[in-house]
Amino acid sequence: MRHILSKMKKILSLLTLLPLSLLAHLNIAVSYPYIGALTKTIGGDDVTVTVLAKGNWDPHFIIPRPSLISKMRNADGLIMNGAQLEIGWLPPIINRAGNPKTMPNSKTFLNLSHHAKLINKPKSVDRKHGDIHPDGNPHFHLSPKNILILAKTVEKYLSNIDQDNKDIYKKNYANFSKVWKQKMLFWKKKMKDKKGLKVIQFHDNLAYFNREYGLNNIGTIEPLPGIPPSSRHTIEIINLIKKEKPCCILHDVYHSTKTADFISQKSGIKVILMPHDIQSLENIDNLSALFDHLTSAIK
Amino acid sequence: MKKIVLTSILCAGFAYGDIAQLLEEDKRTFDSSKYIPDISLITDFSYVNRSINDDELSHLGLPGIAHGLYAEHAHGGSNEATYNANQGFNFNYAELILSSSVDPFFSMDATLHFSGEGVEVEEAYFTSTALGNGLRLRGGKLLSNFGYMNAQHHHYWDFGDMPLVFESFLGTHGINELGAQAQWTAPTPFYLMAGVEVLQGENEQMFGNESYKDGEGEAIIEGSTAPSLYVGYVKTSFDIDDTTIFGGLSYAQGDSMLDHSDDHEDPHVFSGDSKLYGADLVVLHAIDSYSSIKWQTEWLSREMDGTQYNLDPTNITSILTSPSINKKQSGLYSQLIYTHDKNWKMGVRYDTIYQNDITGGEENVPDDFNKYSAMIEYHTSEFARFRLQYNRNEAMYNEDGRRQSLDTIMLQANIAIGAHAAHSF
Repeated sequence: MRHILSKMKKILSLLTLLPLSLLAHLNIAVSYPYIGALTKTIGGDDVTVTVLAKGNWDPHFIIPRPSLISKMRNADGLIMNGAQLEIGWLPPIINRAGNPKTMPNSKTFLNLSHHAKLINKPKSVDRKHGDIHPDGNPHFHLSPKNILILAKTVEKYLSNIDQDNKDIYKKNYANFSKVWKQKMLFWKKKMKDKKGLKVIQFHDNLAYFNREYGLNNIGTIEPLPGIPPSSRHTIEIINLIKKEKPCCILHDVYHSTKTADFISQKSGIKVILMPHDIQSLENIDNLSALFDHLTSAIK
Repeated sequence: MKKIVLTSILCAGFAYGDIAQLLEEDKRTFDSSKYIPDISLITDFSYVNRSINDDELSHLGLPGIAHGLYAEHAHGGSNEATYNANQGFNFNYAELILSSSVDPFFSMDATLHFSGEGVEVEEAYFTSTALGNGLRLRGGKLLSNFGYMNAQHHHYWDFGDMPLVFESFLGTHGINELGAQAQWTAPTPFYLMAGVEVLQGENEQMFGNESYKDGEGEAIIEGSTAPSLYVGYVKTSFDIDDTTIFGGLSYAQGDSMLDHSDDHEDPHVFSGDSKLYGADLVVLHAIDSYSSIKWQTEWLSREMDGTQYNLDPTNITSILTSPSINKKQSGLYSQLIYTHDKNWKMGVRYDTIYQNDITGGEENVPDDFNKYSAMIEYHTSEFARFRLQYNRNEAMYNEDGRRQSLDTIMLQANIAIGAHAAHSF
């Protein structure tokens, strides 16, 4: 019996290893466009990237289209954001695809949130506080510092599953990191005089961005995470703005700006659209463009 | 004995709360609470007001298609109520859903359906996770993937009741059987999936294999050997920009043994072969992250071929006549749902059964059964929704063969707690 089991294990491991060693060309499925850009940057020509969600959609609410099942079924691996950002749409796609290479805890599955330091982890988890993320704020990629950490994570991941090309991945990371560090200095300089500014948001999407550049989020238009604006809370926000004098409302691209425009009208502060991912605004087609835009948005 | 004492102490510990004080440090080291499966509880309540009272309603049906659609029907000793069965308040169910990986090769899911009638295991199945190549196997009690909405649980439906054609052909739970399922997703750039299922075949409305027996357990009408229901389907889907098109063709074939011996005026048993054809089409256009328009249509057609054993009303173990009977029946539903934002959703549905050809049995049965529904929903969050629904049902006939229009107003509350539910398309 034991003999058969060990044989079966061998066959199983062979089955999972075979496609990887035979095909140098990896097809990696990723949940969001920013992960796609990172993976393409590190993977170069050896990796094809399949992005599941569109950049202009709310990352919490993606329609689990059946076409995504096919993309998952044909993938050699999966990289996701994690921290429950995909909980409403990705699990059924993973399950329906039945692909062992995209199953959580397989070698070819990567949860990026396990490699970033999450902030705003709630002390108590209860849905009366809204639809909170128990592991902390999941929008950690909106920080140039974290992008560098994530790029390194992707490099390690690709090297681990495709050791033949690990030198290429290492080189690609080194090139990326050099350019990125220069850009980080540039963005830091641009944001220097914004330090200490108070801002309002719709949802705390920019927690990591704000932290990196010293912006201070004093309130959100949604009363609780995931709960749409109420008139009572809107009045509270208007009063808060009058008292605290924040510079502006930093608004995501996917929620309606109706309430924000109303608040703007009553309080006189600007509404600024802040992209959260590649493709979320028309001219943002790569990671640098995303942070170029974000760091120039507040005038 | 020691074990029993220990267990009772443990139970007492649970009952009085503070288990940490009861268990020593080394016992807590082997704590397995991290392995607790994902748990959620979904409850459904409704308030119903109908233009026909409950007693009268239980005598209405679709001649030649379904008896007493709204009655609590007793079959084989188990009572099974339809959803929203009574005027006034209804407790439709509390569904406990458990889900977890078993090991690197399987996952397991169970849906336990608690209602006034007791507990029913609606689903309990294991699914392969490690086969790869697009292949997935599932075994246990499951909702068949026949058509589009058959595999969906009640809480995911856009209306509080089932489409007329599904409810009258297959009953409130659709094809919900014990069996095995194999599905294969093709390695194509668009979605293409084919599946086959071998099922026990115990559906009360259409399939069955149990012999009809007299009081002593002697078979009067011979049944067949289970499993006796076979299902196959092909589904495909593709996207055009923000519009998703999803279509499927399904087929089910099985033995039928329908026991209507408890019918007071016209006791009978049907035995034969049944075929069910299905076609479904869903078009979903996403306007933005929260707003969409969804058009969903399913067509069902069935052919039942066999013998109707008419029983003596005074002695249901004696067969009076046994004519051959053939039924060809078809219908469809089509619904349009507009999701305005995270809070509001509204929709309309049209139901019809337009073919009801019966040879050898009841003659001159009607063949125009229609139903119209409209609903509006308010969601306080993803976990709670309240729905107001209006139905105009022109499909029900009384025992004299006269059509009875039925108006229904329904207020439904569907509330979920626990693990985050993620639904497939």
